[in-house]
Amino acid sequence: MNIEITGLTRRFGAVQAVAGVDLQVGPGVFGLLGPNGAGKTSLLRMMATAVPPSSGRLRLLDRDPGRYGPRREIRRRLGYLPQNPGYYPGFTVAEYVEYFALLKEVPPARTRTAVATAIDRVELGDRRKARLRTLSGGMLRRVGIAQAIVNEPELLLLDEPTAGLDPEQRVTFRSLLRDLGQRATVVVSTHLVEDVAAACARVALMDRGRIVFHGTPDGLAASGDGQAAGDTPIERGYSAVLAQARS
Amino acid sequence: MTGEQRTDPRLSGRQRTGAWLPTLRLVRLYAVGRRVPWALLATVVCAIGLRLTLLGHWDAYGALQLPLIFEAAVAVSIAATVAGPFGEPERVTGRWLPFLRPAVTVALTAAAVGLLAAAGTGGHLTGGTLDVLRNVAGFTGIGLLCAAAIDGALSWTGPTAYLVAAVYALYTQWHPPALTTPWLWPARPPHDLGAALCAALVFACGLAAITPRGARDRPGSPAAT
Repeated sequence: MNIEITGLTRRFGAVQAVAGVDLQVGPGVFGLLGPNGAGKTSLLRMMATAVPPSSGRLRLLDRDPGRYGPRREIRRRLGYLPQNPGYYPGFTVAEYVEYFALLKEVPPARTRTAVATAIDRVELGDRRKARLRTLSGGMLRRVGIAQAIVNEPELLLLDEPTAGLDPEQRVTFRSLLRDLGQRATVVVSTHLVEDVAAACARVALMDRGRIVFHGTPDGLAASGDGQAAGDTPIERGYSAVLAQARS
Repeated sequence: MTGEQRTDPRLSGRQRTGAWLPTLRLVRLYAVGRRVPWALLATVVCAIGLRLTLLGHWDAYGALQLPLIFEAAVAVSIAATVAGPFGEPERVTGRWLPFLRPAVTVALTAAAVGLLAAAGTGGHLTGGTLDVLRNVAGFTGIGLLCAAAIDGALSWTGPTAYLVAAVYALYTQWHPPALTTPWLWPARPPHDLGAALCAALVFACGLAAITPRGARDRPGSPAAT
């Protein structure tokens, strides 16, 4: 398992963002669903080693991120796209992705190829010399994805990756996700259930800091009882599980 | 590889350069991303301003207090470079940032001291180079501490507040009771060891504060929690 989580919690002051999560995730694309404020981003940030857990056990790529040496090794093999990544507007697309390749210690002989490949995979090859200030929101999102995958990560964490992408780009991105999931563990946090249904082999549904469902997208869809709100089976399943968890 | 190739000094030199190129490229991108060229430009402008100021004839107050304004200004521009725009994706990368942050800051501080000292050469720069070195390092240390504790965008507040206190401390040299604590180092003579140690300590603490995490994230941003 590339992610092993036992009894994980995280508090921010008086707010209990993650309230005891147990989860094991292997290779493939894993969807993390839930309403706003469910704790998805906090859980993802702990997986990204951006914040330490308040309590519980977290192991990533068979290493303990609480210790400096293993954490450094995890970070070299990690790709992370948060909800609001920052950009320096004066950088070109290639400079931005190259900066992250160098920070992630991609071998010097491979850096140029890795940068070009990452940019091509998000279909920005023709804009590689464009300044970031000239790009649209959707293009910036794709640049963010490119920096996350430039080191061919073994563990890829994406927070709302399809936000700002148009329908055509979302379809292309799902295909990219499935491709990445062949070689790595990809965790996608989203509240768009159709993305999960289309791209993820496994899914967890979070609510109020806890995981209230863990299984396949088909299993989530089967949880719908016909009375729950939603236009598709998986949306009805999503609503039904949430309603049951809150009752 | 043949013995001839191993002993070819041009080849080995090129290989050495090749090994350094990614590091130099990383330093360049880090510096550009943190607007270091703009900080250098601000430092040059401050040096020119100091030079022009020294052309004038000032009384004792002016001669002591005016250079302080330029020293505080360069310190503010240096501290502002600690804040980066990249957020958590940058922070969760490998080992380089804890080296890049202090290295670039020390290099900028050294450049600022050199430029201001050069601007004062041949002019009536009260206190001379030692004074510039102590004051710029101290002001920069305060700016770095503010960046680490409050926010990179507000790193100017500490040096500015300290400038007011320092100007007042200089004023009290002629209007007793004089403030003589070494923590107000601009009011002490250039060769005062206690003042130099205090400024050096603040600079070292500032560097230590920004090395592991850089500037504190703006309150309200997800990374600030």
